[in-house]
Amino acid sequence: MELAEPFAMSQPAISKHLKVLERAGLISRGRDAQRRPRRLEAKPLAEATEWLESYRQFWEARFQQLDAVLHDLKTQNLRNQINIKKKNTRRSKR
Amino acid sequence: MKNTGTLKVTTPTDREIVLTRVFDAPRHLVFDAFTKPELLKRWFGPRGWSMPICEVDPRVGGGFRFVLRGHDGKAVGMRGVYREITPPERSVHMESFDDYPGESQVTAVFVEQEGKTTLTATVLYPSKEVRDIVLKSGMEHGAAESYDKLAELLASPEAQGSSQAA
Repeated sequence: MELAEPFAMSQPAISKHLKVLERAGLISRGRDAQRRPRRLEAKPLAEATEWLESYRQFWEARFQQLDAVLHDLKTQNLRNQINIKKKNTRRSKR
Repeated sequence: MKNTGTLKVTTPTDREIVLTRVFDAPRHLVFDAFTKPELLKRWFGPRGWSMPICEVDPRVGGGFRFVLRGHDGKAVGMRGVYREITPPERSVHMESFDDYPGESQVTAVFVEQEGKTTLTATVLYPSKEVRDIVLKSGMEHGAAESYDKLAELLASPEAQGSSQAA
């Protein structure tokens, strides 16, 4: 009931959401007379974020190497264009 | 050099990992960097790794073959087959590692805007379990260790059960 109050959602809908979170191991349910206090289980969430972050860092390191390759390619392209222009100007002067 | 963007990694569904990254280059150059061996060799290996084998046949039904070698001499082989390839916009390929079971589908989309290219790569795994193993494999401890761990995890009965079910 207390958990449902801040939301524009029915009590059964809230229970459904809580059940999904509980099944995923993200919350746990206690017992206190008529109340069923839920506790947030932060560990699995933190673990999931950690995996994503280490995966991200692995690929980010590769992509930074790719940034350097792309920078070289752009510089090369620019140089080639300048050389072509130079050749053309030389030709048109003849 | 300056970073043009930061990689974003999301998991929109149980079986997917989506990577989004902006590169400060027109997309034909970015596409080349993903499909030309002489360019791939310069960035695809984790830092300190070499790529003694890097072959790409960028056609539908064609594919690629990579062997990456770490400083300790450990080699990791992977291969793929193109299902779709539309330079410089899009490619779809199936990808697998020599030593581990499971094949993933990789869809890469390159969008250019004002000289910059946004890459969106969607990796679709055969099951949630295989995807989570890849995420869990601790990529930060150097590729060799993580590939070892991945092999171990994929060989576990839990992972085998799930990939057979997929």
